[in-house]
Amino acid sequence: MSFREKSAWISLVLLAVVFGAYFSYIGMVVAGLARNRFSLFLVMVAVFIIAEVVLHLVIATQTPRDARTPKDEREQLIELKATRTAFYVLLVSAFGSIGTVHLRLSDPDDHLWLMMQAILFSIVFAEAVKFARQIVLYRRDA
Amino acid sequence: MDTAIRNTIRRLRFDHSEMTQQELADKIGVTRQTVNAIELGKYSPSLEVAFRIAAVFGVPLDDVFQYDGKGVKR
Repeated sequence: MSFREKSAWISLVLLAVVFGAYFSYIGMVVAGLARNRFSLFLVMVAVFIIAEVVLHLVIATQTPRDARTPKDEREQLIELKATRTAFYVLLVSAFGSIGTVHLRLSDPDDHLWLMMQAILFSIVFAEAVKFARQIVLYRRDA
Repeated sequence: MDTAIRNTIRRLRFDHSEMTQQELADKIGVTRQTVNAIELGKYSPSLEVAFRIAAVFGVPLDDVFQYDGKGVKR
C-alpha cells in the first residue's frame, strides 16, 4: 500500500472515529440527554489534528522515500476526482442543512446552533467521501 | 478500468538490465505505483511522461505505447 493510500485511510478512519463520537454526543444533546458544550468541539478538533500529525509521522518514518516524493500526475488526478465527488456531496448536504430551520425546537436560538452542527456535519461527511473515493481510485489502479 | 493504450514497458525494462519499476519511476519523476498502473494499462500517462519513458529507453514513443482502440466514439 502506498504512502498516499495509507494517508487517506488514516484521515478517513480518524474522521469516522473522532467526529463519529462528536456527532453522537450532538445527537444526545438534540435528544435532551446531554448538555451542549462548545469545548467538546475544540477538544475533538485538537484530538483530530494531533492524531493526524502523529500517525502521518509514523507512516512517513516507515516509508520516508514515498513521503518525500511530491504527488505525481496520477495522484493529483485521483485527488481532483475525489474532490469533485466530495464537492457535490457538500453541496447537497449543505442545502440539506437549511432544512433544520423547519425542525420544532423549544428554543428558537437552538436553530442557529443546530444549523451550524448540520453544516459542520456536511463538511466532515464530504471530507470522508473524498478520502473514501481516493482509496477506491488507488485500489482500482493498483 | 483498462485504457485503450497498450505498452511494452515491462519488456523494455527487462531489456535494460532488468530495470525495476522504482528505478524507472525515479528517472521519470513519478511514483512506483504510477509506473505499475501504466504498465498494467490502468492509467494513461500524460504526453510528457510518455516521452520521458521513451527517452529513458532511447526508443521512439510508438515503440513504447500503441493505441488499441477501435476508433473514436461519437
